[in-house]
Amino acid sequence: MVEPENKPDETIRDEGIEAGAARLTEDKIAETINRVLNVEAGARLRMYVDTCAHCGLCSEACHYYLSHDNDPHFSPAGKVKQTLWEMIRKKGRVSPDFMKRAAEIAHTQCNLCKRCSMYCPFGIDIAYLMATVRRIIHLLGMTPLYIQATAHSHAATMNQMWVKEDEWPDTLQWQEEEARSEIPKLRIPLEKEGADIMYSVIGPEPKFQAQLLYQAAVILNTAGLNWTMPATPGWDNSDMAMFTGDNEIMGRIKRAHFETAIRLKVKKIVMGECGHAFRSVYDTGNRWLSWRMPPIPIVHAIEFYYDMLKEGRIKIARKYSEPVTLHDPCNVVRGRGLHEKARYVINAICDNLIEMHPNREHNYCCCAGGGVINCGPPYKLARMKGNRIKADQLFATKAKGAKTLVAPCHNCHSGLEDINHYYGLEMNVKFISDILYEVMEKPE
Amino acid sequence: MNRYAIFILIAGLVSLTLIMASYSQEDMVTVDNSVFTNPQRTPAKFKHDDHNEAAGIESCGECHHVYQDGKKLEDESSEDQSCSECHTATDDGRKPGLMKAFHMNCKGCHTTAKKGPVMCGECHAW
Amino acid sequence: MHDIYQFVSGPMVWIAFIVFIGGSLFRLIQMLLLIQKKESFIFSYISLKYALRSIGNWLIPFGPVNMRNHPAVTTVTFIFHFCMLVTPLFLLSHIVLWDESFSIRYWALPDTVGDVMTVLVIASCLFFAIRRQKMADVRFLTSASDYIILTIVAMPFITGFIAYHQWGSYPFFMVLHIISGEIMLMAIPFTRLVHMLFAPFTRAYTGSEFGGIRYAKDW
Repeated sequence: MVEPENKPDETIRDEGIEAGAARLTEDKIAETINRVLNVEAGARLRMYVDTCAHCGLCSEACHYYLSHDNDPHFSPAGKVKQTLWEMIRKKGRVSPDFMKRAAEIAHTQCNLCKRCSMYCPFGIDIAYLMATVRRIIHLLGMTPLYIQATAHSHAATMNQMWVKEDEWPDTLQWQEEEARSEIPKLRIPLEKEGADIMYSVIGPEPKFQAQLLYQAAVILNTAGLNWTMPATPGWDNSDMAMFTGDNEIMGRIKRAHFETAIRLKVKKIVMGECGHAFRSVYDTGNRWLSWRMPPIPIVHAIEFYYDMLKEGRIKIARKYSEPVTLHDPCNVVRGRGLHEKARYVINAICDNLIEMHPNREHNYCCCAGGGVINCGPPYKLARMKGNRIKADQLFATKAKGAKTLVAPCHNCHSGLEDINHYYGLEMNVKFISDILYEVMEKPE
Repeated sequence: MNRYAIFILIAGLVSLTLIMASYSQEDMVTVDNSVFTNPQRTPAKFKHDDHNEAAGIESCGECHHVYQDGKKLEDESSEDQSCSECHTATDDGRKPGLMKAFHMNCKGCHTTAKKGPVMCGECHAW
Repeated sequence: MHDIYQFVSGPMVWIAFIVFIGGSLFRLIQMLLLIQKKESFIFSYISLKYALRSIGNWLIPFGPVNMRNHPAVTTVTFIFHFCMLVTPLFLLSHIVLWDESFSIRYWALPDTVGDVMTVLVIASCLFFAIRRQKMADVRFLTSASDYIILTIVAMPFITGFIAYHQWGSYPFFMVLHIISGEIMLMAIPFTRLVHMLFAPFTRAYTGSEFGGIRYAKDW
């Protein structure tokens, strides 16, 4: 029986994939695939492939599969079949067209959210397998254009958004000035050696979300903490190289980040509401640099807010009255178990939390993370169609009264904002800090 | 196409199996198994005289043996005793328990002679 | 038939067990050496506590969310694996053979119970085969090897069932039963049946990562 061919989406033309594929020969593809599968990869890859019973119990874990009316091409194991199984079966001798399709699958039809590894009876880490495919694609030079551009930015500037070295302290001083009109004694301390906390953010914050720096400064000042931000490269905790399989660059930017914190002799790094950056500093990047755990404690914003509220360093003037629902981001929930702390924070600052279902570890992915949103405009529609299930989940929550959607992760936030507009949800998508800033007691 | 070929192959094997299931055993005399509690199988079919004639066994001691100090005594025989008088339910040192004694006594000889039943259901027929 | 029986129930059994045990040790040692060589960090993340927590939770019928999402598969899978492991180990006829060869004897299942469990295994295999045909996502993942593996597992039970009931040519099915059992044993280390060996390890690793590093549940 012949399976229906799943051709690449002809309406999408990705210059990075096209240009890369045009340079490929079957020999080069085979050489690269075999190097990754046989030299770089080890027991995990082999065991995962040999152990998989082809049972299909992972299918319904995937938001793409559910959103595409249970199309088997979108099931997690189905994606492995269309990529790695074929590569292994043909000993790497696959065509450039095959690789184009593999790039589309690995980069834009999987968010590496690891929901499926909770549904596999054997606990097979399918995200790892897809990341291995991305590694091959990276080494073949056919990574999707937009995300490759951010990886280039990381390589050249140590930040994701081509923020120049002088633009960074300028932006901080600008936000400090702005905030001083509200809280006259507010400071954004730069390069303060021996501070307790180094606060770090992702490249997009200074680039186009400077209000988040403002809010963070207000929160940190109000809490009366001894904190600082670096004025040098190394301030950016984000990491698109991790998602393109460019492990070498990932290692460089993580090293710069950790070394900056160590140079400033801080006790810990507190980071903003970003999921993938947390994965990079807490899980992936440190391992590439041979640190079992991060060399300096990493505190995600959710945990930081939790500590501040619990210790009474931040007091709430009046709780946020509009009913909210909380989206559990994969990288800090399946990646760090912060779901209960997030609920503590939400309940402390909001009157009414209405749970979406499923939630916590089992929440549906935003379909933006894992570098998918970073593959840019060509794939926006694919992201929207690929996450109808999220819209359904949110409509059901809205029907129970939720009006504000809290997404404590940049990728989730942007992806859910897109879903909000595309499906006409008409919810207010917010970070926790948006609400916290609004409801907290501020110094005169 | 592979999938269907294999399906048909499996279906074929199963049908062949069912077709071959179709003949019954003749009437028989059996070994007395009343000494066993809750036996799981039918008593072993065994026609004493026919067996000995076919096997050319003259001496009773061939099967109704007597062992002393781990050695079979050539001139002795024990047909006047029940097997269970010596062979208790479980093994006793090198002396096998009753069920094992039956099995080994029959199968041992059949195996050496390459004649006679050796598989479970050849004696314990339904 | 005597010679064939002697061969399949004598030297072939030795060969089958040597291939099964040797092959399994080979696969496990090879895996551990490969981890040592390339991914030795795995050893530093493995945690006995969280490995057992994860394995334990996945041994509870209808414990994990995904089991509750698939009640039929869960029911059949548990029955299948339980019967498939317990029936051959505790079948009276098998124990009698252990006893005669090595004086190893232990508690046996009543034959009727073994009979029912055998039927359950065969029915489960049928369920899995139909599921592979009928469910689009499973069909997409299925190749000839999946049916071959299913057949390898089903055959000892089908032939054992026929031989026990003495349908057809008893010696033929008895010998076929022994051979198919030996094939299954030898296939375990070298086919995807290797999940019998590897699944505890993949689960242990994922459980350790989820529990020890990520502070999250994986069920």
